Amino acid sequence: MSSTKEKAQQRANLLQGTLDMLILRTLLYGPAHGHQIGKHIQRTTNDFLQMQHGSLYPALHRLEQRGWVTSKWETAPDKNREFKYYRLTEKGKKQLVVEESKWKQMAEAVSSVMWPVTEEN
Amino acid sequence: MRWWQIRKRDADLERELRSDLELEEEEQRDNGLPPDEARRAASRAFGNVTLIREKTRETWGWAPFERLWQDLRYGMRQLRRSPGFAVIALCTLSLSIGAATSVFSVVNAVLLKPFAFRDADRLLVVRETEDKAGSGREIVPDNYRHFLYLKENAKTLEDAAIFRHSAGSISPNGDHPRVVGTVITSPNLFRLLGVRPMLGRNFVDADARKGAAHIVVLSYEGWREFFSGDSNVIGKTLRINGEPNTVIGVLPPGMHFPQVALSPKIHFQELGQNVMLYEPFVPAERDLKNDTGNFNYSVIARLNPGVTVPQAHAELGALLSSYTVSSHLPVRFGIAIAPLAQDVASGVRGGLWLLFAAVGAVLLIACVNLANLQFARAVSAEHETAVRAALGASRSRQIMARLTESLILAVIGGMAGIALAFLGVRMLLALVPANIPRLEEVRISVPVLLFAVALSMLVAIAFGILPALRSLRVPPHAALQTNSSRTANVRDGQRMRNIMVAAQLTCTVVLLIVTALSLRSFSHLMHQNRGFDASHVTVAGVDLFAPQYGDFSSKNPQPVKQAFADRALAALRQLPGVESSALTSATPLKGETWVDYLHRPDRPLPDGQEPLVNVRFIDPDYLPTMRIPVVAGRNISAGDRGDPYVALISERTAREAFPGEDPIGRKIGSLAPDSDHLFTVVGVVADTRINGLKDTAAMAYAPYWVFTHWTLSFLVRSSQPSDVLIPEMRRVLWQVDPQVAIPVLKSMDEQVSESAATDRFQAIVLSGFGISALLLALLGVYGVLAYSVSLRQQEFGIRIALGSGKGSMVGLVLRQAAYPVLFGTAAGLAISFVVLRWVRSLLYQTPVMDPLAISGSVLLLLAVSATAAMIPAYRAASVDPMRALRSE
Repeated sequence: MSSTKEKAQQRANLLQGTLDMLILRTLLYGPAHGHQIGKHIQRTTNDFLQMQHGSLYPALHRLEQRGWVTSKWETAPDKNREFKYYRLTEKGKKQLVVEESKWKQMAEAVSSVMWPVTEEN
Repeated sequence: MRWWQIRKRDADLERELRSDLELEEEEQRDNGLPPDEARRAASRAFGNVTLIREKTRETWGWAPFERLWQDLRYGMRQLRRSPGFAVIALCTLSLSIGAATSVFSVVNAVLLKPFAFRDADRLLVVRETEDKAGSGREIVPDNYRHFLYLKENAKTLEDAAIFRHSAGSISPNGDHPRVVGTVITSPNLFRLLGVRPMLGRNFVDADARKGAAHIVVLSYEGWREFFSGDSNVIGKTLRINGEPNTVIGVLPPGMHFPQVALSPKIHFQELGQNVMLYEPFVPAERDLKNDTGNFNYSVIARLNPGVTVPQAHAELGALLSSYTVSSHLPVRFGIAIAPLAQDVASGVRGGLWLLFAAVGAVLLIACVNLANLQFARAVSAEHETAVRAALGASRSRQIMARLTESLILAVIGGMAGIALAFLGVRMLLALVPANIPRLEEVRISVPVLLFAVALSMLVAIAFGILPALRSLRVPPHAALQTNSSRTANVRDGQRMRNIMVAAQLTCTVVLLIVTALSLRSFSHLMHQNRGFDASHVTVAGVDLFAPQYGDFSSKNPQPVKQAFADRALAALRQLPGVESSALTSATPLKGETWVDYLHRPDRPLPDGQEPLVNVRFIDPDYLPTMRIPVVAGRNISAGDRGDPYVALISERTAREAFPGEDPIGRKIGSLAPDSDHLFTVVGVVADTRINGLKDTAAMAYAPYWVFTHWTLSFLVRSSQPSDVLIPEMRRVLWQVDPQVAIPVLKSMDEQVSESAATDRFQAIVLSGFGISALLLALLGVYGVLAYSVSLRQQEFGIRIALGSGKGSMVGLVLRQAAYPVLFGTAAGLAISFVVLRWVRSLLYQTPVMDPLAISGSVLLLLAVSATAAMIPAYRAASVDPMRALRSE
């Protein structure tokens, strides 16, 4: 029981800083509703990132609050129902660039510690 | 995001979640699950929808407010559900917060608020001290020459002004004159205080030269009153004591010059607090020459920046002693110094803090009562609390939910309390003795409002926090258990409640003892032997402030004043029902005035070493009218008029000036202000408390034929009641001369009672607080017992069913009450022994360990507690066993 709990913790921690970036990146393909965004992230990572609805919706609303995405109720092309579609704004695109470069820097920094390149030798 | 969009936003969120959930469900069905299974799987995948909603709502940034709003609504609902509690709590809160705020508004204005002068903390009152052979050091007012020397040489002082409170008669519209407070001051006073005239100009040094034109600066109040706020007042004439004075300036409205007592013993109570006008002080011949007498002035000084009071005290003291030596003065003079604000409030500080402490104690007791009620409510709401905890309410949320209820009560109660404080301040001001300084500044000001608000919050937390914390101790699983475990809760809560009742009784005992001591002191003050008989006597104070009566510099003003006195005495005697009418030169019970050295030519003492006496100029009827017996020798009589240099002395004077000798027939000196003529002592009269009830005065009496004062006091003994006599006396006196002012006209009993106004005020207000505390304690004891009896109904039912008698049931409850009551009383007694040391100085000839006051208070409290316990005890005894058992 404790191991599952630990796993969940790991996932949550991983997601916390990066979820915003992943959502923004997902919306770069075009407008999507909450369910689609979740499913997309889950599928792209081969189910490594289990989408928690408990963090997805607060994150979406937070992004909207900050003006990085807008939302609109629209009818889905294949279904006869309305969904709330989120769309990336110009501001959101810029933010994605920022987040991405931050992430890259972070990843490089982490990897340079973890797998040092020994050039001098 | 605006708050009014929340509702729409919320609906939107719900719709979004629902549509996504449906989609998930469809997908699960497409995977081949049956519909039921698909719905459950979708729900599982989605998780707790409510939680998602709440988390999402948090991102909107309004969550804290929403939570507060929820708590508020919850609190209001709770209160509406128990209106009895709400009403009791609100009444208690508003009354006690109102009382505390009212008292604080007085404390703030009199003791805390700085004067509206520039850098008021650098202002000092400087007095002199005089070393006495027998009686040690005495504080005396200032001598003009000493002032000049100090002002010239002191390095610690930026500036110093010399002044004197005085009185002047004004008749603005040609009416009968009235007497108002004035200040005669060196020209630099306003500059020193940092006050600029609102109209016209300040005094300049030339205004104080001999022969300068008569000018006057009006206070704002004086300007409104005498000139109805005329903006062209500068240059106009105001007649003071009948003499024309040119108005040169008007002071701004905030300028209230405080009453500075000449010395700790000498006050000017009769003039009231308002200084209406200021005149420049032109030193007279005697001011410029006399170095060892003529201590008639007050000095206010401003410290240089960075200088401390002790530094200034050391420097001025050293200067004055070197002056004493270099001028070969026969007496050692020293310096007494006090910050202005402290000096002005010195007589009332202790009393006001005592009242503030008393109202604080009442507030505390009220808080404990409310905490008790809240506690009981928290216990009965335990089930609900447990349910909340089981549903996942956080600890902070639980505490807040309980606290908001108290906060709601405190906010409403606080607002009602502030409203009541407006009334309370008026009531206090009606009760308060007029000699308390700075009363005109008492109002519900911003600091007072802040105090009230802070107090309300503090009170809310004080009575809300214990029950709130208790809700944390309720384990969630308690919700699942039935409430047959109530008996366990009874014991648990009972200990807390007993502690609170004990604390309450502790406060009450202390307050009751202080109140009882204050009442004893007041009663002693009023009922002791005064040495004179005030009943059926009416007193009229008359001021002869008009040009025809002259002043000290006039050539021979005596005959005119004497003629007035003779005619007035005769006219008063003619009034119906008058037994006798008499004259003295100072209104009784107005403190020491005309204090002079008593000189004995047969045994001369150096200046300053002779005993001090209050000199009064009386007529032969004074002693019989006041029923003051002659102890030895004889009274003065009409036969002395031809050779009026005879004197009477009081027993105390006889003891001090003629220890072990017979004073009759001896010569004493300089009672008359304008001659060195000696007086022959013809009689010794009994001691009286004529200047103030707290002390017998050393008196020397001489006939008014020697000297008739400008302020006269007529005493009329009559079978007529005072209110009939008063208009008659006024009519008769103004018939003799319509130009005299009559500032005092009242029954002697009233005069006596007014002189004890401070003690009465203290006794009345303390009694009010004492009674409130007692009632609250009664409620407290009753409430706790009644509650525990109601919880123990079944137990009592069983006991009765098993054969317990009524008596033993009553005993059971009373025993339960006895522990906190006895413990609280004992603790209160112990604390009293510590606290009472500070009260000692506020009591008049009453030992703080007064057994009657202490035992009376304790017995009263025990009786009241027993009464409070009896009702629940009888209820316990009359429990119907069948009903109690059936209700199980």
